[in-house]
Amino acid sequence: MLNGHCLETSGNGSEMLTDAYRRYVGDYPKFFKMDGLSRLGFIASELILQRLGEERFTPRTDRAVILFNRSGSIEADVHYQSTISDPDNFFPSPSVFVYTLPNIVTGEIAIRNKYQGETSFFVLEHEDQPTIQAMIEASFEDEGTTSVLAGWVDYTDAHHFEARMKIIIKE
Amino acid sequence: MEDLVLELKKDIIESLNLEDVKPEDIDADEPLFGSGLGLDSIDALELIVLLERKYGIKLKDPNKGKEVFKSVNVMAQFITDNRTK
Repeated sequence: MLNGHCLETSGNGSEMLTDAYRRYVGDYPKFFKMDGLSRLGFIASELILQRLGEERFTPRTDRAVILFNRSGSIEADVHYQSTISDPDNFFPSPSVFVYTLPNIVTGEIAIRNKYQGETSFFVLEHEDQPTIQAMIEASFEDEGTTSVLAGWVDYTDAHHFEARMKIIIKE
Repeated sequence: MEDLVLELKKDIIESLNLEDVKPEDIDADEPLFGSGLGLDSIDALELIVLLERKYGIKLKDPNKGKEVFKSVNVMAQFITDNRTK
């Protein structure tokens, strides 16, 4: 759903994210190197930023990216663990390891959009709106921040994920 | 050698998640880094792991990677000369 309208996608589970990438983005091959959480956050941010219609991909310091979830980077953690759990087949994967921190998704979004402002990622027990609102309001105490790309981006595995994202602009 | 070059291209695509790249898109003489493939330092580390996991080659000197990963053909020759499995 984007601004209350359904977007056309196909595929089950994480295939839907790949399909959305091909339909609505298509020009950022690094997408395929990302873990599930980063893919989810990346697609959600792309869809909302495309619709916003603002000038993109020019360096800016006034936009913060502040995201929240419950599951941290559990999918990447489990994947990485699988590369180091067998002593006879012990080949830690660098490209999986780099995603074993949930805040990497905020970095991916910032890199894509050339945002140089604050990026933060908070892991909460649940989608606690008062806490989320307080965190976002606090980010505006930095006078350099005029807008925040904020949202709940949770990815447990290829079949269990959800994202809600919005842009909040300082009045 | 030709078989190894093709195998390597497929391994590189799979290991580095180059989803939209086909083996025939990779010129075996072109530099792997700094070319159109857009590879970065994490990809270089992943290629080092690939050499060890699949061919039993441990790159003890990271600087050696610059030489070995010059192109797919150079990599294939290096593997032929040094593989232990």
